[in-house]
Amino acid sequence: MDTFILITITGIGLGALFFLVASGLSLIYGLMGVLNFAHGTFLVVGAFSGLWISTKVFATANTWTFLGAMVFGGIAGGIFALIVERLVITRLYERHIEQALVTVGVALVAGATLSGWFGNDPRLLPTPHWFINTVTVGKAFVPVDRFLYIGASIVLYIVLASILRFTRIGLIIRAGVENRAMVGALGINVRLAFSAVFFMGGFAAGLGGVLVGAYQNGVTPLMSGSWLIYGFIVVVVGGMGSLGGSALAALLIGVVDQFTNYYMPGLGDFVIVFLLAAVLLTRPQGLLGKVGR
Amino acid sequence: MLRWKYSRPLLGLLLLIMAVGPMLSFGILREPGIQQTLAVAFLYGALALTYDLLFGFTGLLSFGHALFFAAGAYITAILIDSYRWPWYFAIPTAVIVSAVLAVLVGSASLRTKGITFAMVTLAFGEAGHVVISRNFGSLTNGENGLPINAERVPGIFIGVVNTKYLFWLALAVLIFVYAAIWWVTQSPAGRVFSALRDNEVRASVLGLNATRFKLLAFVIAGTLASVIGAAMLLVSGNAAPRYADANTTIALLLMVILGGAGTRWGAAVGGILYSIASTRLQDLNQGKALASLPKIISGPLSEPAFILGLLFIFIVMFAPGGLSGAYYRLRMRYLQRDKSTSGSL
Repeated sequence: MDTFILITITGIGLGALFFLVASGLSLIYGLMGVLNFAHGTFLVVGAFSGLWISTKVFATANTWTFLGAMVFGGIAGGIFALIVERLVITRLYERHIEQALVTVGVALVAGATLSGWFGNDPRLLPTPHWFINTVTVGKAFVPVDRFLYIGASIVLYIVLASILRFTRIGLIIRAGVENRAMVGALGINVRLAFSAVFFMGGFAAGLGGVLVGAYQNGVTPLMSGSWLIYGFIVVVVGGMGSLGGSALAALLIGVVDQFTNYYMPGLGDFVIVFLLAAVLLTRPQGLLGKVGR
Repeated sequence: MLRWKYSRPLLGLLLLIMAVGPMLSFGILREPGIQQTLAVAFLYGALALTYDLLFGFTGLLSFGHALFFAAGAYITAILIDSYRWPWYFAIPTAVIVSAVLAVLVGSASLRTKGITFAMVTLAFGEAGHVVISRNFGSLTNGENGLPINAERVPGIFIGVVNTKYLFWLALAVLIFVYAAIWWVTQSPAGRVFSALRDNEVRASVLGLNATRFKLLAFVIAGTLASVIGAAMLLVSGNAAPRYADANTTIALLLMVILGGAGTRWGAAVGGILYSIASTRLQDLNQGKALASLPKIISGPLSEPAFILGLLFIFIVMFAPGGLSGAYYRLRMRYLQRDKSTSGSL
């Protein structure tokens, strides 16, 4: 039983990290139809920014500096995403394949730049000392950092959902996901919503990058690739453009991955792809996706 | 006609030089290092051609194409090394297994379209990469790759003095793949592929089963890729996990975009140039050329992906059609100028 609790909570923690990567991908795709291969780069930019501020500015590691690094990483990821959107993506307006291709190019160039500057060896991200503690849940000893990942994702989910639900820009985004041409025809500036979505997605990915750096005990430019692919899988399983779908799929995939890796070591990734194939064969639009998208 | 009248004789001359070059007692083609680099480049040119069939001719943006390339290399290597099959049974078996794999992956992925298809194929490709790099069933030797047992390969493909046979093998594979892609794209089915790329709804209204034709293109491209994978196993001497990497498919995409999608020769030239460029740029990295620059500039410049990625962004944004597109634009301008000066319109 205690193993069950431990694996479940660890799986939810991993799912929380998946959600941070996938939420932005899903919104960007849902609103703009852009398959954003540069999203893994947003994660790495956030992670390195968090690393920079924790080692060069704060120089100590406590709860507040780590929270500061998370927010700083998020803002850096968001600003980088905004730059990418303004510089290259808007120039290929409505040409979806070219937009996807150009994000591949951005990912290559940014990845090579970061590798050239920092090398590919993982750099240790300073974390508060309580990160190595465990708490007792039932009879299980659960690493306490898992709760931070879960908490951060819940807060981010609430913030993103509230922005989408209660603000004017959120209204435009939701309307744009439904029918972008109509929103534009009504004289509403959809471009602004594009930028907002890129910033929010970049923020989530950048914040996720700092947490992934803590989770993997190191920050390296190489982490963009694998996390991007997990993000894609989560988005496809959850349904494009659906924030709730991404959250649900991220949880499902995190938990399934951890259970598989416990009972059949090394097979977690394989089972995830199997799950993806099963979802596609039975529900091609994803768990919470709309038909015909 | 946009084709230059001398292009075919020139191509024949080039092929003749390539074919006899390694036998001559002079010229750079007799150096084994050059032969090896060119052999790898020819195989990537051929692989880019198979990707052009998918992306350029049929409009399928697949990110899992490397899976079949790796399957050809790995299945051949496993059958030869672990099961002690002779190579002439191992390679056809590997190709057939890869074709079956392409049918399975294709029929699952083709339930989706466009960008979703890209994501799904990416996931399948990555699953293959995971299986290989995690040493699934202790067959693939994990991250280290699987070297081929030299005793079980025909002797003419082993040793530095025999590199010229590998060179000819790669050239033959390139010509074979080119001929196969040419035949496929000229066939009635190939016209359906292009029709699906240009307007799927209209092709479907004409009574053509879109999914079945796309699956056909997917399987042809995957099967040819596995043939190239088996050849790459012989040329490079081992099956490496990076063959299955998503980065390999992304490199194929770069090659096709660089050369120009949907023109066949563009993809082949793009693949050959890309392969040579990335090898040369790596040498540049090891050399002293960049040592005098500050690290903030030399660091990115020493990564081939930096320059190739910038080139890629430039082509996508400002020069769609790549090399072949630029060539045809120049040719068009030249022909028009010709007409206007002679006044024989």
